[in-house]
Amino acid sequence: MATIQHEYDRKHLDERNEYKASTKAILFDSSRCSGCKACMVACKTWNQLPSPTATNSQPWYASLQCPYDLGSNTRLTITFREMESTNPGRPIDWAIGRRACMHCTDAACVTVCPTGALFYDEETGMVSHNAEKCIGCSYCRGACPFDVPRHTGSDDLSGVNIRINKCTGCVDRIKHGMDPACVTTCQPGALTFGDRDEMIAIAEKRVEVLKAKGFDKARVYGATEMGGTHVIYVLKYDIAGYELPENPGISWMTTASEIMKPVLGIGFIALIAGLGGCLLSGVGYKRDELRYDEVNHDVINVETGEVVKHIDKEAGER
Amino acid sequence: MTGHYCDLKNADVLLSCGSNNLENHPVSSKWVQRALDAGATWIVVDPRYTRTASQADIYCPIRSGTDIAFYGGLINYIIENRLEQTEYVNEYTNATYLIKDTYDFDPETGFFSGWIEEKHKYDTSMWGYQIESESDGSQPWMSAPGVPEYTPKSIKKIKRIESIDDTSNPDYDHSVWAIMKKHYSRYTIDVVCDICGMDAETLELVYKTYASTGAPEKAGTILYALGQTQHHYGSENTRIMTLVQLLLGNAGVAGGGVNALRGEPNVQGGTDMAMLVYDWPGYLKWPSVENTPTLRKWLETQPNAQGYYVNKPKFIVSGLKEWYGKNAQVENDYGYDWLPKVPKNGDIYTTIGTFELMDQGIMKGYFAWGQNPAVSDPNAKFNRNAMCNLDWLVVADWVVTATASFWDAPDMQDRKKDIKTEVYFMPAALIYEKSGTILNSGRWMQWRQKAVEPVDQAKPDYEMCDMLWREIVNLYQDEGGACPEAILNVKWDYYVDGKIDPRPVAWALNGYKIDDSTNLGAAAPELLDSFTGLAADGTTANAIWIYGGFYANNADPYDPSIQRISRRHTNEKTGQLVPDKDPGGLGLYPNWAFSWPANRRVIYNRASADANGKPWNPNRVLVEWTGETWIRNDVPDFAWGTVDAPNPPEKCTAFFMKDEEHANFVTTGMKDAPLPEHYEPFETPVEKNLLNGSINSPMIKFADNESVKKGDRKQYPIVATTYSITEHWQTGAQTRMCPVLDEIQPRQYIEISEQLAKEKGIANGDDVIVFNNRSSVKVSALVTKRIQPLKVHGETVHLIGMLHHWDWTNRYSKGEVVNELTPNVGDPNSYIPEYKAFLVDVKKA
Amino acid sequence: MAEVRFIQRHSLLTRIVHCTIAVACIWLMISGLFVFVPALAALNLDLTRFMKVTHRVVGVIFIIMPIFGAIGSPAGLIEFFKKYFCRWTPEDFEFLKKFVPYMLMPKKVHMPDQDEVKSGQRFADGALVIGGLMMAVSGLFLWLGTTIMPVSAGTLVVMRFIHDLFFLVLVVFVVAHVFLGGGMFQPYRGGTIKLMFGNGQVSEANALYHWGFWARKELEDGSRVVVKKVPEEQRKAISSKASLGK
Repeated sequence: MATIQHEYDRKHLDERNEYKASTKAILFDSSRCSGCKACMVACKTWNQLPSPTATNSQPWYASLQCPYDLGSNTRLTITFREMESTNPGRPIDWAIGRRACMHCTDAACVTVCPTGALFYDEETGMVSHNAEKCIGCSYCRGACPFDVPRHTGSDDLSGVNIRINKCTGCVDRIKHGMDPACVTTCQPGALTFGDRDEMIAIAEKRVEVLKAKGFDKARVYGATEMGGTHVIYVLKYDIAGYELPENPGISWMTTASEIMKPVLGIGFIALIAGLGGCLLSGVGYKRDELRYDEVNHDVINVETGEVVKHIDKEAGER
Repeated sequence: MTGHYCDLKNADVLLSCGSNNLENHPVSSKWVQRALDAGATWIVVDPRYTRTASQADIYCPIRSGTDIAFYGGLINYIIENRLEQTEYVNEYTNATYLIKDTYDFDPETGFFSGWIEEKHKYDTSMWGYQIESESDGSQPWMSAPGVPEYTPKSIKKIKRIESIDDTSNPDYDHSVWAIMKKHYSRYTIDVVCDICGMDAETLELVYKTYASTGAPEKAGTILYALGQTQHHYGSENTRIMTLVQLLLGNAGVAGGGVNALRGEPNVQGGTDMAMLVYDWPGYLKWPSVENTPTLRKWLETQPNAQGYYVNKPKFIVSGLKEWYGKNAQVENDYGYDWLPKVPKNGDIYTTIGTFELMDQGIMKGYFAWGQNPAVSDPNAKFNRNAMCNLDWLVVADWVVTATASFWDAPDMQDRKKDIKTEVYFMPAALIYEKSGTILNSGRWMQWRQKAVEPVDQAKPDYEMCDMLWREIVNLYQDEGGACPEAILNVKWDYYVDGKIDPRPVAWALNGYKIDDSTNLGAAAPELLDSFTGLAADGTTANAIWIYGGFYANNADPYDPSIQRISRRHTNEKTGQLVPDKDPGGLGLYPNWAFSWPANRRVIYNRASADANGKPWNPNRVLVEWTGETWIRNDVPDFAWGTVDAPNPPEKCTAFFMKDEEHANFVTTGMKDAPLPEHYEPFETPVEKNLLNGSINSPMIKFADNESVKKGDRKQYPIVATTYSITEHWQTGAQTRMCPVLDEIQPRQYIEISEQLAKEKGIANGDDVIVFNNRSSVKVSALVTKRIQPLKVHGETVHLIGMLHHWDWTNRYSKGEVVNELTPNVGDPNSYIPEYKAFLVDVKKA
Repeated sequence: MAEVRFIQRHSLLTRIVHCTIAVACIWLMISGLFVFVPALAALNLDLTRFMKVTHRVVGVIFIIMPIFGAIGSPAGLIEFFKKYFCRWTPEDFEFLKKFVPYMLMPKKVHMPDQDEVKSGQRFADGALVIGGLMMAVSGLFLWLGTTIMPVSAGTLVVMRFIHDLFFLVLVVFVVAHVFLGGGMFQPYRGGTIKLMFGNGQVSEANALYHWGFWARKELEDGSRVVVKKVPEEQRKAISSKASLGK
């Protein structure tokens, strides 16, 4: 099954869903990011997410990227990729990326979430969550094409305390007239927040500037992916440097799992109906009581005493 | 900074050299990005391929410690190709001035003329001007009652040539221009590349691009930080940037300047407050035994004959009045004699020298107040051992630092019980736990209100200082002691309702009118609107003249929120928003906070316009002469007059803080050179200096000390440099106490090239030992293409970069002290240590 | 008094293992539905979380019991495999061919004699065993992979698919198994339920009906034949419950 891919057509998107015209987006311009990680600290601070405290217990990955990936208490991390240089004057192409929820319009996590713990914030388009409602099934973890959702309480074998923990888009801040915490703290202007249309327009303009500067692979990411994400990226270098899928989609297995639910329901009813038929067909079935005479090798009807069947052992019958 | 952060957006070309500003000053990147959006070109010159470099339009590698060669080459390129802004150079600099024929430089030896071998210093007067005539320099106010008696310097008319193109003038060869041209003619592209290690093509592109700002309407800015300053010729590094900016007409214009990005939130404020041995607050000179033993001597040597520094007597007398109050009278030279004087060997009281004195058992007590020398000072292991000789050590800090626990270092465990030093730890309030002023790199001052009460027994520094002071005074009163006048005559009245308070200190910093009954603790004085109100007759008091006017609203001196320092695009008197928050659209924001001096945002702004007062660039108007008056988008940095009686442009000099009112190329103001000259780092990977006969600067400080243990290039062939990262700050005492910061950067590592790693059998993430004669440290290795070996003098030179934020203390993240490896040698002007270039070797742990 | 002969078909261990697994399986299916069906999941979160915990606890039992059985009787395990992985006789094929018609017209279609395990049974039980195994493996991945031994999202999505798919398979075969093995289907009445949930014995008449080849072999051999004396009037009822349908 192919990935679910939407054609980019702004007009079509607008028609498809009225409210989307006014949804919000975070714009991440990788060409402006200084990799200072202040956004990561702001995220942890605003959301009161803990960090390791035992002496020298913090994992290090022999890289500037740290924490290396999202985690049960890390909703945002900045990625550093040192790629082969495409410019003779420079030792590397240094792609600095951002890993956090992309806030998809067609979010796989919302689709698979059985309890509604993950939901769309209608006003902003952000994919927010209510951890109270999370039952810890972790379906969202597997379904997300960006491998974003993480859970707290996952260090415990019982799993009873597992709760979703991912970027909420700071809808709590947005509703009070503030920008998301990461955006507020960003000094180089790599992060901007505003109307989604406007963010895409800025991104497209920026890509033109970057292309004019010789960054041929510069592109906008998120305008169409997953029905359009509410985090728009300006990628300076090849997409390979940013831990982003070229064609994100919902895995066919996730889709199949979702389809299985009605299939199971229908199948179950059909099965019961079929077996019911069998049951009825068997009503009144009568069978004779048999006995076996192992000396003469005869199967005998007990009622009548007649030999129903003789086993001719010499002929090889069993 | 001569400009300020927002001003970076006005530049046409930005040059970051010796500054990883994107990583270490993230706020600068905001304004750099705006410049780039407006079409500017960004050049980054750095030994490492930093994030700053990766975002720049042009990246040029350089060997650590060879900046003067790089800039000298640029000067040569500008002069050879006549790319200077000629009118600017002629009008505003001393290029046309004639220098005495005693000036000389000998490339064979690497020495300038005037070297006095026995004193191990230069007679800088040998580099002075040829004087045509002298005239009386006295002004009416100097003879007013109350002004100390002294003979002001005479005004000297200096011999000049017509212009820098006046080559037919017989004295042309003695002109500053000719001397400079000759001096830097040795700095050819090939020689520079051979010293610095970049390729000629890149270097020429950098030179061509930056020199393009010599066009009158163009502005180029230089961003620098500790990469420039932390060398034994760090002051000359800074000065050569000035030369470049003056040649290209980039000083005093919007988007220009020489812009130091300071390393600590309040380090600019600390510098203003004269943290250095020889300084008096506001960049005046502290009295010294040798040169200024009396007030008269000070007044006869320190003030200029012309320009604004004629007024220095007003600053020093007002300063003394603040110091001694009513005890300071003209009859007793305003108490000048009570001041401690810098002794003849003042050098050894600088940071590096201090530890030598401890080592020798001369210095027996030590205050480490908001600093952590056991981690941050060079040759830290030597320092730590020297501290064992102290009788007592007082550490005032937020956490128990390595300095406070120097006796507990891993290598001290055996001798711990024999260390007799009594250590007193005073828990200090953090910035959020006390009120006061904060000053950024752009000289903007803001009032910071206390947000929370200090934790437990922690106290603001001024409170600790007050307790200490009162105890000392009590002891003097009860028991007497040496030099009691120096203690008992001091005015100490910074109290509100009987409690020590930063607001009376703010009055003192701002300046106020006094009579002999003035007591700050009793009532608020009449605050002065500007330092122009200061007098030398004892009627005003001021602790630091440059801050004059920051806190001048007499409506309620107890309320910082109605002072200029607290403005938010508001009129401080009415509290109303101003109609135009950014006159000229240059990001000056004159009604936001306060910028010293006099709320001036771009220093030397007269130079942004030509001799007739017409701006070089009509779109970047700081000041403009309309024919009748001055348009003043910024506060003029010249004697512009008044609204009713403006001075015409010809009377307004651009550099009126200088005696000659012209910016200097050749100077007598530096101890080590009239013109910056390339020398190699104390520990250099090369055999000789390709530009002259001296490897190190003749004036290098402390190089002969036994503790330095110089390393040889044969034994330690790898160049090391130290630096900060975004995630941690300085010695990490504060940042390593924040688990979230430890999480985003938990490990102390060195950055090492793939080539060197291969040579040494080191894999990414391995533990390695970095060592030299002074010590060895075990850290992790981050193998990266971002560090590349350089071809220098035809040989391959490897570089490693070291982070310095760790030590053995702290709860969450511990490491080793990298500064155990750095050499404790320094600059003769600022005494800054050479952290940025030294030699080590590396092996796998 | 009359004599009725029984054949001991299943050991106590087998019955205990089967019984536990059966109960566990049913519970796993029910509790699993609370995550699988969104409406049920959202019904009451505390109930859902309770179900989720029981799913794991019971899952452990579900996984441990077969291992327990295998350790308890390694020979039985080998025998088990021999019974299921054997050469198919013509009667085996005939059985499969006739299965659906038989289920719909049991009165008209007559099944051939069978060995100890019917070919259809081999097929259905195999599905149950493989299904159970897949559920156990994918379940472990989904459990441990989201707790103490984190795995990639890609692994999770594959494991979830497997878990869901084999849930579907198991539902079909478990229901069919209960329908036939539990004796709900009229022709299958007659004490087959006792094979697993009783004493593990099958009467001579039932054995001859279901597994002719095996029954005759066992009766000739006699080692597993148990003779019970019952009152004459109860003989028929005990011997062949199927005849009660008359």
